[in-house]
Amino acid sequence: MLGRSWKFTANAIGVSTIALVAAGALGSAAAADDILRIGAPLALTGGLADEGKKQEAVWQLWLDKVNDAGGIEVGGKTMQVEFVQYDYQTDGKRAGQLAEKLITDDEVDVLMAPFGSGHTKIVAAVAERYQVPLLACVASSVSVYDQGFKYLFGTLAPNTGMTESMTAYFKEQMPELEKVAVYGRDDVFPKAMATALANSASAAGLEVVYDQLYSVGTMDHSAAVSAIKAAEPDWVYMTGYTQDLILGRKQMEDLGVTAPIVTMVTGPAYREFTEGLGDLAEGVTSSTWWHHATAYTDAIGPWTSTAAFYADFVEAFGIDPDYVHGSCAAAADVLVHAVQQAGSTDSQAVRDALAETEVLTFYGPIDFGENGMNQGRDMPIIQVQDEEIKVLYPAAIAGAQMKLVD
Amino acid sequence: MDILQIFVNGIVLGALYACIAVGFSLVWGVLNVINMLHGSFIILGGYLTFFAWFYLGLNPILVLPAVALLLYILGFALQYLFINKVVTAPVLTTLTLTFGLDMILYNLMTVYFTATPRRVTLDLGSIDLAGIVMPVDRLLGMGLALLLTALLYLVMRGSTIGRAIVAVRMDRQAAALMGIRVNRIYAVTFGIGALMAGAAGAVFAMVFPVTTNLTGVFLGKAFVICVIGGLGSVPGALVGGLALGVIESFAGFYLGPQHAITVGFLLMLILLVVRPTGLVGVKGYE
Repeated sequence: MLGRSWKFTANAIGVSTIALVAAGALGSAAAADDILRIGAPLALTGGLADEGKKQEAVWQLWLDKVNDAGGIEVGGKTMQVEFVQYDYQTDGKRAGQLAEKLITDDEVDVLMAPFGSGHTKIVAAVAERYQVPLLACVASSVSVYDQGFKYLFGTLAPNTGMTESMTAYFKEQMPELEKVAVYGRDDVFPKAMATALANSASAAGLEVVYDQLYSVGTMDHSAAVSAIKAAEPDWVYMTGYTQDLILGRKQMEDLGVTAPIVTMVTGPAYREFTEGLGDLAEGVTSSTWWHHATAYTDAIGPWTSTAAFYADFVEAFGIDPDYVHGSCAAAADVLVHAVQQAGSTDSQAVRDALAETEVLTFYGPIDFGENGMNQGRDMPIIQVQDEEIKVLYPAAIAGAQMKLVD
Repeated sequence: MDILQIFVNGIVLGALYACIAVGFSLVWGVLNVINMLHGSFIILGGYLTFFAWFYLGLNPILVLPAVALLLYILGFALQYLFINKVVTAPVLTTLTLTFGLDMILYNLMTVYFTATPRRVTLDLGSIDLAGIVMPVDRLLGMGLALLLTALLYLVMRGSTIGRAIVAVRMDRQAAALMGIRVNRIYAVTFGIGALMAGAAGAVFAMVFPVTTNLTGVFLGKAFVICVIGGLGSVPGALVGGLALGVIESFAGFYLGPQHAITVGFLLMLILLVVRPTGLVGVKGYE
């Protein structure tokens, strides 16, 4: 858009640098090779600022936890951990430039990818060029991982796993389910989810009565909502970012669209979605990669169970963690585990250790496949019920029965 | 039914678009300043309205005059203190200045209000007229857009200050020779532009999510609408907004929502070539 791109270009001189130096690391006489340096270009301002700040917050929590415990044991010696972050202002090009700076100027050992499939893809290309391992904790589109990159590893599972299990679950809950309308944002992740759902629904024998994308920057959904209304679907499946979904749900109500199942990916995974919609959020379902109701124990890393992570997080921030927090903290766990397995911070050794990874974290099992993505597993389906987020699926962690929207 | 509903959707959306553009058009037409702050002004109006509703329980319609007044004061001060210093410089200079000011305002809002989308969840429902559904809050926005545009039109035509604004727009030097305090008129005009943005933001807080992510989108729309409608006349923004709303609505329905925005930009490009003054613009302000 006109204003946005200019904004970020002119703000070039205002790049803020935040180095989160491990507690005590400065005071000690630790040599450079006794420090694990993790680099992260983050969207701390601009359109993805909320998501970028989530990454920053949970890594700070993780870092405090690790360094309060004295650091990490690697090859018989104790290493401190340090995060080096830059704000790339939600400008993809700048994310790539800062990733390069982190590698060449700051000489980080490994990189963490920013929020979203689009920006992860950009940073992944840089990491690959310099052969630096990159952990992506918020990128789930297969198109990011199918480029043959050897140094990219992602903790989220593929989108397709989510849509297949969701279609099967809804058919089971509502046997008369026949028609689905799919409406997705024309952007890497939302588009991938919309496409995957349309395919999964067709494969499951449902009729896809509406299947369209909307452009980034769309301020009005009335044309699409009117078309969806005319198609009389049993299930409306919309993807997008929170502001799109809030507007879409409101316009559905305004224009009188009623469907027994309304899914908005990944709206209910974010508190701001339910706050921004009030009563209109009731009954909206979504897939998510993680929910704090999961109960893993005997995990690696500073948090040995989901409950321990949840307790620390709530104490620190006073809100429930979402999948971004969970996945990004787990990515840091996996990274440390790989460094420990490698016995050093050598890029090639860490990369090989990551490829071999098969561990359980508080977030769930992590086992990177051939393309670097975490292998599929049963990902939760959630629903807003009485202003709370309830887990409907899988049965092992379900906390409520699915309710149809009136 | 379909065509009528799509048309009504477009008209209602178009009126909201006009609401966005009317202040922007005024400032551009009179001051020859492309006000990059405009999108942030709308969002600031939205935030003030949201906070008044959320913390004080005040209805957005009641808050609207106060929000508009605050934005007027802010706009007046910014013009008087900063923009007036360079207002006669080439358009790129003023554009850069308002762009810089926008960076400050935008980032202050992101830091202090966060980019989290918020909304006044005061859903007013819809009216169903023979199968044509019209959301009440959007109708309200439409009413406001028409009212503000009409008021502005009357002010420009019938009041001393309005005539002074028009005089400055026509010939700055002649206006100064006639005793008009040009810098004051500039500040008033910029203030009115901000007032319009604030009023739009107050209504939008019920219709759109309030988030700094949308400032660029609003600004982009205002720009397109002004080019379509034409600068130099208040009705230009209204005509441009309505035209864009209806075109996007039909394009979204028949060509797919993916192409709605593209068609709007295409229209803008065509008009730039065949009719640079816009649909109702005055020659000399293209």
